[in-house]
Amino acid sequence: MPTDPLRDLLQPARDQVAPLGAPKPRRARAVWIGRRRYAPIHDLQKQLVEARAQGRIDDTILLLEHDPVITLGPRANPENVLLDAGALNERDIDLVATGRGGDVTYHGPGQLVCYPLLDLRPDRCDVRRYVRSLAEVMILLAREHHVEGGVVDGMIGVWVDRAAPEEWGGAEWAREIAKLGAIGVRLSRWLTMHGFALNIAVDLEAFEMIVPCGIRDHGVTSLHQLTGRKLTVAEVALASAPQLARGLDLDVARVEDLSAVADLAGALIAPEAVAGEGRSAR
Amino acid sequence: MASDDVRTDRRYSKDHEWTKQENDHVVVGITAFAVDQLGDITLVNLDVKPGDTITAGTAFGTIESVKTLSDLFAPVSGKVTRVNGDLESRPELVNEDCYGAAWMIEVAPSDPGELGALMDPAAYAELLKTAAH
Repeated sequence: MPTDPLRDLLQPARDQVAPLGAPKPRRARAVWIGRRRYAPIHDLQKQLVEARAQGRIDDTILLLEHDPVITLGPRANPENVLLDAGALNERDIDLVATGRGGDVTYHGPGQLVCYPLLDLRPDRCDVRRYVRSLAEVMILLAREHHVEGGVVDGMIGVWVDRAAPEEWGGAEWAREIAKLGAIGVRLSRWLTMHGFALNIAVDLEAFEMIVPCGIRDHGVTSLHQLTGRKLTVAEVALASAPQLARGLDLDVARVEDLSAVADLAGALIAPEAVAGEGRSAR
Repeated sequence: MASDDVRTDRRYSKDHEWTKQENDHVVVGITAFAVDQLGDITLVNLDVKPGDTITAGTAFGTIESVKTLSDLFAPVSGKVTRVNGDLESRPELVNEDCYGAAWMIEVAPSDPGELGALMDPAAYAELLKTAAH
């Protein structure tokens, strides 16, 4: 079924009365877990997916920023990493092969990484729709900061016009498109892993170490570069519940702050053990 | 290809793979419905080679579309006898001809009972009716 790009935008706001008989969105738990290294969070994602598959947890959304890391999709072209192992080591940048879609990407401080661990069954088994919904969350988050992003045919991600960041009329009208957010997903029997990375105030020079997802022709930008405003990933993440709910069509009441929690698997898989520990962000 | 295209000469798994018996071997691919759910295929990774043993319900590879990597699940257990090497360089074959040129692997099944447990075309067509949204 084709996805109408306007459909999400035309949905009623969440505080309006839902039409009678409309199914209630599924409840999801969203948590801000602060700045973390890549590998342990990759392991955590796998644990959460397994717990989700067994029905032990609800849909769970991890929000975080990573320590500097370059990740490679399964058949990433190594030529798209422009530094050798020694130079990466010297700069304390991890290089990790990972099982998500896409080629090469960079994650680092100043970038909001979002890993929704959802069961798309039974009613949302549509890869294009799911990927579009991830882009929609990023578009809604950017809009909170007066930046209008959009999607471009054949180039998955969220794009903006650097020449006019407050408006987006489509790539054909843009003067200088630049990538604001990237998407890379893993699906196994409709259980989702990985997700999106939105550039809030990331060091844009870091992207010069790679050819992001093999696309050479366009630049990378951030909300900070576009607006001049100093934003932290934490503030964007902790305020993101309405955009996550609307973009992903989930019931997300709040974003819990678990950034100080060391045992995340314990906190997320056996929530009753730490009930009351996570502070409400909103 | 219409997403409800179901061929009568094969049997189907719940993970939307088709199996086609050819002599004592079984050819495996993904259905038009699966292709429709995935969108434009950009990569097919077959993680098995001839001689490998696969188990029904476990992943034998991954397929990528719209920056999403999805697992491919074996519909039957057995020994892999052939893999379709064309898909590595021409993943778009899956969009073009999922029931023909884009077959994925051929298996010598170790448990014929597994084949019988797969859905016949009528049962699979019924599943698609309920899965369609």
